[in-house]
Amino acid sequence: MTCERFEELLSAYLEGELSGEGRLEMDGHLAACSSCAELLSLFRETQGALAGFPELEPGPALMARLYAIPEKRSFFGTVSDFVLRPSLQPVYAAFTVLFIALSFVFFHPQGRSIQKAIDRQIHLGYNQVEKLYAKAGSVTDELGSLKNTVVDSIKTLNPIKGQEDKK
Amino acid sequence: MDLKAIVRECLEGRQGAWETLMNTYAKRVFNMAYQFSGSRQEAEDMTQEIFFKLYGSLAKFDFEKNFTAWLLTLAKNHLIDEYRRTKWERTQRDDFDERVLPQASIPGPEESLARKETRALIWEGLNRLSSEMRMAVILRDLQGRSYEEMAEILGLPLGTVKSRVNRARIALAEVLKEKKGELS
Repeated sequence: MTCERFEELLSAYLEGELSGEGRLEMDGHLAACSSCAELLSLFRETQGALAGFPELEPGPALMARLYAIPEKRSFFGTVSDFVLRPSLQPVYAAFTVLFIALSFVFFHPQGRSIQKAIDRQIHLGYNQVEKLYAKAGSVTDELGSLKNTVVDSIKTLNPIKGQEDKK
Repeated sequence: MDLKAIVRECLEGRQGAWETLMNTYAKRVFNMAYQFSGSRQEAEDMTQEIFFKLYGSLAKFDFEKNFTAWLLTLAKNHLIDEYRRTKWERTQRDDFDERVLPQASIPGPEESLARKETRALIWEGLNRLSSEMRMAVILRDLQGRSYEEMAEILGLPLGTVKSRVNRARIALAEVLKEKKGELS
Protein backbone atom coordinates (compact mmCIF):
# COMPACT_ATOMS: atom_id res chain seq x y z
CA MET A 1 0.00 0.00 0.00
CA THR A 2 1.24 3.49 -0.87
CA CYS A 3 1.05 6.54 1.41
CA GLU A 4 -1.43 8.17 -1.03
CA ARG A 5 -3.73 5.15 -0.78
CA PHE A 6 -3.39 5.21 3.01
CA GLU A 7 -4.47 8.87 3.07
CA GLU A 8 -7.43 8.16 0.80
CA LEU A 9 -8.71 5.46 3.13
CA LEU A 10 -7.96 7.21 6.43
CA SER A 11 -11.50 8.38 7.26
CA ALA A 12 -13.00 5.06 6.21
CA TYR A 13 -10.40 3.30 8.41
CA LEU A 14 -11.24 5.38 11.48
CA GLU A 15 -14.99 5.22 10.88
CA GLY A 16 -14.85 1.40 10.66
CA GLU A 17 -15.97 1.25 7.04
CA LEU A 18 -13.14 -0.95 5.80
CA SER A 19 -13.35 -4.69 5.39
CA GLY A 20 -11.11 -6.98 7.45
CA GLU A 21 -8.60 -7.24 4.63
CA GLY A 22 -8.55 -3.47 4.12
CA ARG A 23 -7.95 -2.89 7.83
CA LEU A 24 -5.07 -5.37 7.83
CA GLU A 25 -3.46 -3.58 4.89
CA MET A 26 -3.80 -0.23 6.67
CA ASP A 27 -2.36 -1.70 9.89
CA GLY A 28 0.55 -3.18 7.94
CA HIS A 29 1.31 0.18 6.31
CA LEU A 30 1.07 1.98 9.66
CA ALA A 31 3.61 -0.36 11.22
CA ALA A 32 6.06 0.31 8.38
CA CYS A 33 5.55 4.07 7.71
CA SER A 34 6.34 6.59 10.43
CA SER A 35 5.04 9.63 8.53
CA CYS A 36 1.62 7.96 8.03
CA ALA A 37 1.61 6.98 11.70
CA GLU A 38 2.25 10.65 12.56
CA LEU A 39 -0.54 11.70 10.20
CA LEU A 40 -2.92 9.28 11.90
CA SER A 41 -2.02 10.70 15.29
CA LEU A 42 -2.59 14.30 14.11
CA PHE A 43 -5.80 13.19 12.41
CA ARG A 44 -7.07 11.71 15.67
CA GLU A 45 -6.05 14.83 17.58
CA THR A 46 -7.89 17.00 15.07
CA GLN A 47 -10.99 14.81 15.31
CA GLY A 48 -10.87 14.98 19.11
CA ALA A 49 -10.59 18.77 19.04
CA LEU A 50 -13.44 19.14 16.55
CA ALA A 51 -15.66 16.88 18.65
CA GLY A 52 -15.32 19.24 21.61
CA PHE A 53 -16.07 22.44 19.77
CA PRO A 54 -18.57 24.71 21.46
CA GLU A 55 -22.13 25.22 20.36
CA LEU A 56 -23.17 28.80 20.94
CA GLU A 57 -26.64 29.95 21.86
CA PRO A 58 -28.04 32.71 19.67
CA GLY A 59 -28.51 35.81 21.82
CA PRO A 60 -31.96 37.26 22.64
CA ALA A 61 -31.33 40.27 20.37
CA LEU A 62 -30.73 37.97 17.41
CA MET A 63 -33.78 35.87 18.23
CA ALA A 64 -35.91 39.02 18.42
CA ARG A 65 -34.64 40.05 14.97
CA LEU A 66 -35.40 36.59 13.59
CA TYR A 67 -38.93 36.56 15.03
CA ALA A 68 -39.57 39.96 13.43
CA ILE A 69 -38.66 38.82 9.89
CA PRO A 70 -42.30 38.28 8.72
CA GLU A 71 -43.23 41.88 9.66
CA LYS A 72 -40.19 43.31 7.90
CA ARG A 73 -40.66 41.08 4.91
CA SER A 74 -44.32 42.04 4.46
CA PHE A 75 -43.26 45.65 3.68
CA PHE A 76 -39.91 45.07 2.00
CA GLY A 77 -41.26 42.01 0.22
CA THR A 78 -44.04 44.01 -1.45
CA VAL A 79 -41.60 46.73 -2.49
CA SER A 80 -38.95 44.32 -3.72
CA ASP A 81 -41.53 42.16 -5.53
CA PHE A 82 -42.65 45.29 -7.41
CA VAL A 83 -39.13 46.53 -8.14
CA LEU A 84 -37.82 43.11 -9.18
CA ARG A 85 -40.72 42.25 -11.53
CA PRO A 86 -39.32 40.59 -14.67
CA SER A 87 -41.45 42.89 -16.83
CA LEU A 88 -39.36 45.86 -15.63
CA GLN A 89 -36.10 44.32 -16.78
CA PRO A 90 -36.12 45.87 -20.29
CA VAL A 91 -36.75 49.27 -18.69
CA TYR A 92 -33.74 48.82 -16.39
CA ALA A 93 -31.65 47.65 -19.36
CA ALA A 94 -32.67 50.74 -21.37
CA PHE A 95 -31.81 53.03 -18.45
CA THR A 96 -28.47 51.30 -18.01
CA VAL A 97 -27.59 51.87 -21.66
CA LEU A 98 -28.72 55.48 -21.41
CA PHE A 99 -26.64 56.07 -18.27
CA ILE A 100 -23.59 54.48 -19.86
CA ALA A 101 -24.01 56.71 -22.93
CA LEU A 102 -24.47 59.78 -20.72
CA SER A 103 -21.46 58.87 -18.62
CA PHE A 104 -19.34 58.88 -21.81
CA VAL A 105 -20.55 62.41 -22.48
CA PHE A 106 -20.16 63.77 -18.95
CA PHE A 107 -16.94 62.06 -17.95
CA HIS A 108 -15.10 62.13 -21.26
CA PRO A 109 -12.06 64.50 -21.24
CA GLN A 110 -13.50 66.25 -24.27
CA GLY A 111 -17.02 66.19 -22.90
CA ARG A 112 -17.80 69.83 -23.78
CA SER A 113 -16.88 69.41 -27.43
CA ILE A 114 -18.99 66.22 -27.57
CA GLN A 115 -21.89 68.10 -26.03
CA LYS A 116 -21.44 70.89 -28.60
CA ALA A 117 -21.37 68.33 -31.41
CA ILE A 118 -24.56 66.76 -30.08
CA ASP A 119 -26.21 70.22 -29.81
CA ARG A 120 -25.13 70.97 -33.38
CA GLN A 121 -26.62 67.69 -34.59
CA ILE A 122 -29.85 68.38 -32.75
CA HIS A 123 -30.06 71.89 -34.32
CA LEU A 124 -29.32 70.47 -37.75
CA GLY A 125 -32.00 67.86 -37.29
CA TYR A 126 -34.44 70.53 -36.12
CA ASN A 127 -33.67 72.71 -39.16
CA GLN A 128 -34.17 69.74 -41.47
CA VAL A 129 -37.54 69.07 -39.93
CA GLU A 130 -38.50 72.75 -40.25
CA LYS A 131 -37.50 72.75 -43.92
CA LEU A 132 -39.45 69.60 -44.58
CA TYR A 133 -42.44 71.08 -42.84
CA ALA A 134 -42.18 74.27 -44.94
CA LYS A 135 -41.81 72.21 -48.11
CA ALA A 136 -44.81 70.16 -47.15
CA GLY A 137 -46.77 73.45 -46.68
CA SER A 138 -45.83 74.72 -50.12
CA VAL A 139 -46.73 71.36 -51.70
CA THR A 140 -50.13 71.55 -49.98
CA ASP A 141 -50.65 75.08 -51.34
CA GLU A 142 -49.68 73.96 -54.84
CA LEU A 143 -52.02 71.01 -54.64
CA GLY A 144 -54.80 73.35 -53.42
CA SER A 145 -54.33 75.76 -56.34
CA LEU A 146 -54.14 72.84 -58.82
CA LYS A 147 -57.39 71.51 -57.41
CA ASN A 148 -59.04 74.93 -57.87
CA THR A 149 -57.78 75.13 -61.46
CA VAL A 150 -59.16 71.68 -62.27
CA VAL A 151 -62.52 72.53 -60.71
CA ASP A 152 -62.68 75.83 -62.62
CA SER A 153 -61.82 74.05 -65.90
CA ILE A 154 -64.55 71.49 -65.36
CA LYS A 155 -67.06 74.22 -64.55
CA THR A 156 -66.07 76.13 -67.72
CA LEU A 157 -66.34 73.08 -69.98
CA ASN A 158 -69.51 71.82 -68.24
CA PRO A 159 -69.94 68.76 -70.53
CA ILE A 160 -73.35 67.77 -69.07
CA LYS A 161 -74.91 71.19 -69.78
CA GLY A 162 -73.63 71.03 -73.43
CA GLN A 163 -75.40 67.68 -73.97
CA GLU A 164 -78.68 69.08 -72.56
CA ASP A 165 -78.49 72.02 -75.02
CA LYS A 166 -78.05 69.62 -77.98
CA LYS A 167 -81.26 67.83 -76.99
CA MET B 1 -42.80 17.73 15.55
CA ASP B 2 -44.21 17.82 12.03
CA LEU B 3 -41.96 20.35 10.32
CA LYS B 4 -43.85 20.33 7.06
CA ALA B 5 -47.06 21.20 8.89
CA ILE B 6 -45.23 24.11 10.52
CA VAL B 7 -43.98 25.27 7.14
CA ARG B 8 -47.55 25.10 5.81
CA GLU B 9 -48.75 27.15 8.77
CA CYS B 10 -45.98 29.71 8.07
CA LEU B 11 -47.21 29.99 4.50
CA GLU B 12 -50.75 30.52 5.75
CA GLY B 13 -49.43 33.26 8.05
CA ARG B 14 -50.50 31.49 11.26
CA GLN B 15 -49.35 33.25 14.40
CA GLY B 16 -46.51 31.44 16.19
CA ALA B 17 -45.54 29.13 13.31
CA TRP B 18 -42.56 31.24 12.28
CA GLU B 19 -41.41 31.46 15.92
CA THR B 20 -41.56 27.66 16.18
CA LEU B 21 -39.45 27.36 13.04
CA MET B 22 -36.94 29.83 14.47
CA ASN B 23 -36.78 28.01 17.79
CA THR B 24 -36.07 24.78 15.91
CA TYR B 25 -33.41 26.02 13.50
CA ALA B 26 -31.91 29.31 14.71
CA LYS B 27 -29.25 27.66 16.88
CA ARG B 28 -28.18 25.21 14.19
CA VAL B 29 -27.89 27.82 11.46
CA PHE B 30 -26.23 30.35 13.78
CA ASN B 31 -23.58 27.81 14.81
CA MET B 32 -23.01 26.80 11.21
CA ALA B 33 -22.47 30.48 10.31
CA TYR B 34 -20.22 31.01 13.34
CA GLN B 35 -18.07 27.96 12.63
CA PHE B 36 -17.80 28.97 9.00
CA SER B 37 -17.08 32.67 9.42
CA GLY B 38 -15.26 32.58 12.76
CA SER B 39 -16.91 35.81 13.84
CA ARG B 40 -19.89 36.07 16.15
CA GLN B 41 -20.98 39.41 14.72
CA GLU B 42 -20.82 38.15 11.14
CA ALA B 43 -22.58 34.94 12.14
CA GLU B 44 -25.48 36.95 13.61
CA ASP B 45 -25.79 39.05 10.44
CA MET B 46 -25.57 36.03 8.18
CA THR B 47 -28.10 34.05 10.24
CA GLN B 48 -30.55 36.91 9.85
CA GLU B 49 -29.88 37.10 6.10
CA ILE B 50 -30.33 33.32 5.72
CA PHE B 51 -33.70 33.34 7.49
CA PHE B 52 -34.76 36.43 5.57
CA LYS B 53 -34.02 34.50 2.38
CA LEU B 54 -35.81 31.47 3.77
CA TYR B 55 -38.95 33.48 4.47
CA GLY B 56 -38.89 34.85 0.93
CA SER B 57 -38.48 31.46 -0.70
CA LEU B 58 -40.65 29.37 1.63
CA ALA B 59 -43.40 29.26 -0.99
CA LYS B 60 -40.97 27.50 -3.36
CA PHE B 61 -40.34 24.61 -0.94
CA ASP B 62 -41.15 21.23 -2.45
CA PHE B 63 -43.05 19.32 0.25
CA GLU B 64 -41.78 16.03 -1.17
CA LYS B 65 -38.27 16.96 -0.03
CA ASN B 66 -36.50 17.07 3.32
CA PHE B 67 -37.00 20.53 4.84
CA THR B 68 -33.86 20.46 7.03
CA ALA B 69 -31.64 19.53 4.07
CA TRP B 70 -33.31 22.23 1.97
CA LEU B 71 -32.74 24.89 4.64
CA LEU B 72 -29.12 23.82 5.21
CA THR B 73 -28.50 23.92 1.44
CA LEU B 74 -29.83 27.48 1.40
CA ALA B 75 -27.61 28.35 4.39
CA LYS B 76 -24.55 26.70 2.83
CA ASN B 77 -25.06 28.54 -0.48
CA HIS B 78 -25.45 31.87 1.30
CA LEU B 79 -22.36 31.35 3.46
CA ILE B 80 -20.14 30.29 0.55
CA ASP B 81 -21.43 33.12 -1.68
CA GLU B 82 -20.81 35.67 1.07
CA TYR B 83 -17.33 34.25 1.68
CA ARG B 84 -16.47 34.48 -2.02
CA ARG B 85 -17.84 38.01 -2.22
CA THR B 86 -15.89 39.33 0.76
CA LYS B 87 -13.02 36.87 1.30
CA TRP B 88 -10.37 39.56 1.02
CA GLU B 89 -11.80 41.21 4.11
CA ARG B 90 -11.70 37.98 6.14
CA THR B 91 -8.26 37.28 7.44
CA GLN B 92 -8.89 36.84 11.15
CA ARG B 93 -11.26 34.72 13.14
CA ASP B 94 -12.54 35.73 16.57
CA ASP B 95 -10.34 34.53 19.42
CA PHE B 96 -11.31 31.01 20.33
CA ASP B 97 -13.55 31.38 23.34
CA GLU B 98 -13.04 28.40 25.64
CA ARG B 99 -15.52 29.81 28.15
CA VAL B 100 -18.42 28.63 26.05
CA LEU B 101 -17.25 25.01 26.15
CA PRO B 102 -19.36 22.68 28.24
CA GLN B 103 -17.49 22.07 31.48
CA ALA B 104 -18.07 18.31 31.31
CA SER B 105 -15.82 18.08 28.28
CA ILE B 106 -12.80 19.40 30.21
CA PRO B 107 -11.29 16.43 32.05
CA GLY B 108 -8.32 17.80 33.97
CA PRO B 109 -6.13 20.92 34.14
CA GLU B 110 -3.18 19.56 32.11
CA GLU B 111 -5.19 17.73 29.51
CA SER B 112 -7.54 20.66 29.39
CA LEU B 113 -4.70 23.04 28.52
CA ALA B 114 -3.41 20.81 25.72
CA ARG B 115 -6.89 20.36 24.30
CA LYS B 116 -7.57 24.05 24.56
CA GLU B 117 -4.42 24.79 22.58
CA THR B 118 -5.30 22.22 19.94
CA ARG B 119 -8.83 23.58 19.64
CA ALA B 120 -7.52 27.11 19.26
CA LEU B 121 -5.11 25.96 16.53
CA ILE B 122 -7.85 24.03 14.72
CA TRP B 123 -10.20 27.01 15.04
CA GLU B 124 -7.62 29.21 13.33
CA GLY B 125 -6.74 26.42 10.91
CA LEU B 126 -10.32 26.29 9.61
CA ASN B 127 -9.63 29.62 7.90
CA ARG B 128 -6.88 28.00 5.87
CA LEU B 129 -9.27 25.56 4.20
CA SER B 130 -11.15 26.40 1.03
CA SER B 131 -14.80 27.32 1.60
CA GLU B 132 -15.96 23.92 0.21
CA MET B 133 -13.59 21.93 2.43
CA ARG B 134 -14.45 24.02 5.48
CA MET B 135 -18.14 23.44 4.86
CA ALA B 136 -17.51 19.69 4.58
CA VAL B 137 -15.72 19.57 7.95
CA ILE B 138 -18.37 21.75 9.59
CA LEU B 139 -21.26 19.63 8.37
CA ARG B 140 -19.64 16.30 9.21
CA ASP B 141 -17.50 16.89 12.29
CA LEU B 142 -19.12 19.91 13.93
CA GLN B 143 -22.77 19.55 12.96
CA GLY B 144 -22.72 15.75 12.97
CA ARG B 145 -24.55 15.28 9.64
CA SER B 146 -24.50 11.86 7.98
CA TYR B 147 -22.75 11.46 4.65
CA GLU B 148 -26.14 10.88 2.99
CA GLU B 149 -27.54 14.13 4.40
CA MET B 150 -24.38 15.93 3.31
CA ALA B 151 -24.74 14.60 -0.22
CA GLU B 152 -28.25 16.08 -0.31
CA ILE B 153 -27.17 19.42 1.21
CA LEU B 154 -24.08 19.81 -0.97
CA GLY B 155 -25.72 18.36 -4.08
CA LEU B 156 -22.83 15.96 -4.65
CA PRO B 157 -22.49 12.17 -5.07
CA LEU B 158 -21.87 10.23 -1.86
CA GLY B 159 -18.35 9.18 -2.90
CA THR B 160 -17.36 12.78 -3.64
CA VAL B 161 -18.65 13.90 -0.24
CA LYS B 162 -16.67 11.18 1.58
CA SER B 163 -13.51 12.00 -0.29
CA ARG B 164 -13.95 15.74 0.30
CA VAL B 165 -14.41 15.21 4.04
CA ASN B 166 -11.32 13.00 4.13
CA ARG B 167 -9.20 15.55 2.22
CA ALA B 168 -10.44 18.36 4.46
CA ARG B 169 -9.55 16.43 7.61
CA ILE B 170 -6.08 15.65 6.26
CA ALA B 171 -5.61 19.32 5.33
CA LEU B 172 -6.63 20.30 8.85
CA ALA B 173 -4.25 17.74 10.37
CA GLU B 174 -1.46 19.21 8.26
CA VAL B 175 -2.35 22.73 9.40
CA LEU B 176 -2.19 21.48 12.99
CA LYS B 177 1.24 19.96 12.35
CA GLU B 178 2.50 23.19 10.80
CA LYS B 179 1.14 25.38 13.58
CA LYS B 180 2.57 23.12 16.25
CA GLY B 181 5.91 23.34 14.45
CA GLU B 182 5.69 27.14 14.51
CA LEU B 183 4.95 27.14 18.23
CA SER B 184 7.76 24.77 19.27
